Amino acid sequence: MEETVIVAHKIFKAFGEGETEIQALRNVDLDIKRGDFAAIVGPSGSGKTTLLNILCGLDNVSSGEIKVSGRSLQEMSGSELAQFRREHIGLVFQAYNLIPVLTVLENIEYVMLLQHVPAAERKERVHTFLAELGLEGKENRFPAELSGGQQQRVAIARAMVSKPDIILADEPTANLDSETGGQLLEMMRKFNEELKMTFVFSTHDPQIMERAKRLITLTDGRIVSDELK
Amino acid sequence: MLLKLAWRNLWRNRTRTWLSALVIAIGLVAMIFMDTMMVGMNTNMVKNATDSLMGHAQMHALGFRDEQDVKLTINDLDQALLQLEKHPDLKARSLRIVTQSMLSSSGGGEPVLSLGVDPEEEQLLSKFDEAIIEGEYLDSVSGQKLILGWKLAEKLELGLGDRLVLTAADAESGEMVQELFRLSGIFKTGEEKMDASMVLVARKTLQSMLKLEGRIHQIALRYSKLTQDGTPVNPLKKPDDSSKNELLLWTELMPSLYMISQMTDLSMAIMGTILFLIIALGITNTLLMGLYERMFEFGVIKSIGTTPWQAARIMLFEAVCLGFVSIIVGLILALFVTALFANYGIDYTGIEFSGVTFQEKIYPSYKWSRLVLYPFMSLGFTLLASLYPAFKLWKMLPVEALRKRKF
Ligand SMILES: Nc1ncnc2c1ncn2[C@@H]1O[C@H](COP(=O)(O)OP(=O)(O)OP(=O)(O)O)[C@@H](O)[C@H]1O
Ligand SMILES: [Mg+2]
Repeated sequence: MEETVIVAHKIFKAFGEGETEIQALRNVDLDIKRGDFAAIVGPSGSGKTTLLNILCGLDNVSSGEIKVSGRSLQEMSGSELAQFRREHIGLVFQAYNLIPVLTVLENIEYVMLLQHVPAAERKERVHTFLAELGLEGKENRFPAELSGGQQQRVAIARAMVSKPDIILADEPTANLDSETGGQLLEMMRKFNEELKMTFVFSTHDPQIMERAKRLITLTDGRIVSDELK
Repeated sequence: MLLKLAWRNLWRNRTRTWLSALVIAIGLVAMIFMDTMMVGMNTNMVKNATDSLMGHAQMHALGFRDEQDVKLTINDLDQALLQLEKHPDLKARSLRIVTQSMLSSSGGGEPVLSLGVDPEEEQLLSKFDEAIIEGEYLDSVSGQKLILGWKLAEKLELGLGDRLVLTAADAESGEMVQELFRLSGIFKTGEEKMDASMVLVARKTLQSMLKLEGRIHQIALRYSKLTQDGTPVNPLKKPDDSSKNELLLWTELMPSLYMISQMTDLSMAIMGTILFLIIALGITNTLLMGLYERMFEFGVIKSIGTTPWQAARIMLFEAVCLGFVSIIVGLILALFVTALFANYGIDYTGIEFSGVTFQEKIYPSYKWSRLVLYPFMSLGFTLLASLYPAFKLWKMLPVEALRKRKF
């Protein structure tokens, strides 16, 4: 049986009030299943970032309901949301994901430290991912000493090590050249296949869209198509 | 982890951190330096007061200080002296006759306070022997020699060897009695009251003149062990009321002097608070700047599962780290500055302040409790300065922070 990780029901999101009100999301219904590898696409301003922010509880909805791993996000306080994200959701942003004063190793360990994962297990998980991502030997570098592609890979490692139910990535390849971006996506795809990790990411790049298993198209805040490939 | 993050964040902008640390450190140095000077000044004032006549404590018959009645001599003197002898910290004592009297010469008359002393005893309590500028100090517990201050000598146009008459009421009948003295020395203590209206004569002579044989008005005491405030470590037990005597410390004899030292404590506290508040505002500003610069970063930190309180702690830890760095810098600077002045001192000699004249240079003097208090104060205020930035960070919504960066 397919398990549903995220259920979004009749989501509306408006910014501002009165005349300047912007309807960023209109009546969005969305189910994300475990093992999905879904791309959210659409023109600039169509609401991709807004949707992703809402799915992880960074932003709140104007109306509608969201459940992630069976928990309703609207009922949680700021601190509960933070802890919920720490346990259940991995996040990757477009760039500057890493804490500049921490080394690669420390960045990856950060969430696990908040989760109180024992040291031995932390070490093991970090090294598994560093090897998978081809970043061995770089654990004591600072983010500024890495290329953009390497930084994004570390960000994915950080999102993965805490064993979340889902990883949400807002344009993870937008700051990379197409080759590096393609490699990053391959990596995500591999984790999706091998570890059954669920990914939802937004993108502008047609090459990237092609590799998604599911394509969700947004226009003016509405889902206009949702197809499996 | 959060502490490590805070510590590294602190050193991201080295110049800014060092500048902030320096500001706090200078505040700390200013406080410590002012404090040590104040303590030094107080010590100096107290020393002057207790060394010149008063001593560290005095014994009188009850009522003598108010009434100045010549009949009110110390009760059961032998018993009282026995008590004094037993005390290990008593360095010196002077038994005095003290009486209001009239001093007359061929040039006129002046009311004076006459002290009958044993010159040897008195040498250990006051400094009249060192203050002689003309002639010589008293040399015997009896005899007709008299010494007085230079201002009085000037007023009455007196010279060494002049004949002087003291007139006072005796203790038996209260009738006026007179005695002839010869001016043998003139002193200059620097203290107005003593230089203008005090005479010293041999105790036995004054006792027999006032019909007070074997009796004493005042015993002035010096202790060997004193606290930093100048009060005796082991003061004598106060005589109980039945003895009809009283034993008062200088803090009670000269409450205004004691008040000054208490007041300086208060004014230091107020000044310190104001100074540190100003510094704290500057630090708040710096921390806020740091917060805004790293807005996006904090947005990421909060998005990936750092709770608001953990995020706020990063800011508080930054402040604590800054505080510690500042304290170390400040203490080193403070020790250096005070050591410098401790060598040279500050010259206030000759300036009179609330009835006491500075006779010596002022040297800064530490109170160890303050060396602990002020660093804690600066740490406390640095932490206080970080409360608002920490609160901002606590409240900040990660979405808004994330929007701060345009790619
Ligand atoms: N904080 C905000 N205040 C007001 N309007 C906002 C805010 N955030 C987003 N919007 C508006 O909501 C709409 C959707 O924005 P969103 O950022 O989700 O689009 P997007 O699909 O991510 O675009 P892009 O591809 O450029 O990243 C846009 O019209 C945008 O102007
Ligand atoms: Mg976007």
